Amino acid sequence: MAETEIEKITTIDPETEFLASKIRNGNEWETFKENVRPLKRGRNVNLLNHALNSHTDNELKKSLMEQRRKLIEAIEEYQGDDPLLPWIQCIKWVQEAFPPGGDSSGLVVIYEQCVRAFWHSELYKDDLRYLKVWLEYADNCFDADVIYAFLDANGIGKTHSIFYISYALHLESKNKFKAANQMMELGISRNAQPVDKLKAAYRQFFARSMARPIAIDDAVEKLAPTRSFGTVLAKGENRAPLSILNSNRDPCAKNDRTRAAPLSIYKDSADTGDTDPHKPDLSHSWHTLGARADRNKENNAIPGKWKSYKIPQRPGTRTGGATASAFIPVFVDEECQDSQSKKAEGCKSSNLKIRQEDDKELKRETELLRKNPLRNFPQNSLPR
Amino acid sequence: MASRTVAKDIITLRGSAAIVSEFFGYAANSILYNRGVYPEESFVKVKKYGLPMLLTEDEGVKTFLANLTAQLSEWLEAGKLQRVVLVIMSKATSEVLERWNFSIETDCEVVEKGVSREKSDKEIMREIQAIMRQIASSITYLPCLDEPCIFDVLAYTDKDVAVPFTWVESDPKLIANPQMVKLHSFDTKIHKVDTLVSYKNDEWDEQ
Repeated sequence: MAETEIEKITTIDPETEFLASKIRNGNEWETFKENVRPLKRGRNVNLLNHALNSHTDNELKKSLMEQRRKLIEAIEEYQGDDPLLPWIQCIKWVQEAFPPGGDSSGLVVIYEQCVRAFWHSELYKDDLRYLKVWLEYADNCFDADVIYAFLDANGIGKTHSIFYISYALHLESKNKFKAANQMMELGISRNAQPVDKLKAAYRQFFARSMARPIAIDDAVEKLAPTRSFGTVLAKGENRAPLSILNSNRDPCAKNDRTRAAPLSIYKDSADTGDTDPHKPDLSHSWHTLGARADRNKENNAIPGKWKSYKIPQRPGTRTGGATASAFIPVFVDEECQDSQSKKAEGCKSSNLKIRQEDDKELKRETELLRKNPLRNFPQNSLPR
Repeated sequence: MASRTVAKDIITLRGSAAIVSEFFGYAANSILYNRGVYPEESFVKVKKYGLPMLLTEDEGVKTFLANLTAQLSEWLEAGKLQRVVLVIMSKATSEVLERWNFSIETDCEVVEKGVSREKSDKEIMREIQAIMRQIASSITYLPCLDEPCIFDVLAYTDKDVAVPFTWVESDPKLIANPQMVKLHSFDTKIHKVDTLVSYKNDEWDEQ
């Protein structure tokens, strides 16, 4: 009897067992949901709740900081044959323990130090875990181009399909469809694993390409005509011919989108006493209005679907707008600057700056790395 | 002497079955929307349970869910339904990525003797509302589904239930070493529904 009872328990699926147990998850994750950055791989809810409780509990906050310090020490003290392992453990823990992400978590700095520690190591060139650290680092930077170029140049992760998929998606997001297509094909030709996943991603990419109305690529984009916004009207409510509007412009400028030429404004010459060439000739007044079909000819066009067409936009070509990377220089007193630079130099000597740095330093370093992810790498390692 | 009529919130077996099956229809729609199984433009906003809810406009899914809720209602009235699981799988590999488990406890006395129970609609609605809110908030801990997915519904019934011809016997589609989160439950006093989501805990060395 007892045996069958035990058998019964062992065949219960984990969900039924979990529901039957009196374990409660806690609902902090629901209360603080706005403060949680979703993770690609998902989160452990118990850890998440514990971390979210630290928002209100200073003791918990201290214990989190202490735990982070210990994990960083464990990296330095590691003696085993897989030195990447403590880094991965540290990264995973920081991701879980600092749900909002943000600069104060120090995650970007940890990513950077991890990838810099092993970029030249043959042991990790094809290690999926190492590649994933690089890809997560790329996700946290303003422009990942430099990272993907570095990985490509140094042959890091080239046997894994995830590298080609991520690179292609990045290129696609920047409207470099031809390059994205080539990247997918390169991965397939190199038989990156798992190849099924890569082929599936390629099929999806291809389907998206087919759905696009016009294949916009770098070459095509340069030839795209400039759109003139607004309607330029003469005093007599007649449209000025485009040839007159553009007569003072370089003929090549019409097609060059990157040249930020100011809009030409039509000047009415009526004030100067000249006869207006655009005023209607009233001597030839209309004798007949024409048939209804003639009068309504503007309404013959069949409306197309606007939703499916996207206007190609290139980042950084607008004039006058503030760019994402532009920032206001903050005035720093010279005395403070000296002490700050000394402090920074002192920290640089340690491989793991994160332990000594306070929040301000950490945020500053994170900001610099986001703008220039390979700033601490030796110059000769960077792709030319 | 003045008299007054007091309306009691009486719940019958049929009424409870209708509440639970309708809840499942809305919960399924909410899961499919929030987890991105179908594109967001294929959903329309309606008000239900005092919340803005999203319902699919995809004819195939609508028909599937309508047939499903009708069948669930029938099983609930008979007291034969133990659990309903909405499974989200990878379209390419059929790997199970998520399981939304709705476990049902039925008051046997109501089924056998046909008695009714008392509970206000408002209270039931509040409990359902809490679950719907949790479904929407679950993206804080669930993994990103960055590949096309499909869904399936498993019904755990009593052994003596005849399998309708539109249904087939299935394996449990379990996840190995899952992460599990209990959500709120609701109770009509005839059917108690416990909700749980289990998901694949992705590791760094997994492709």
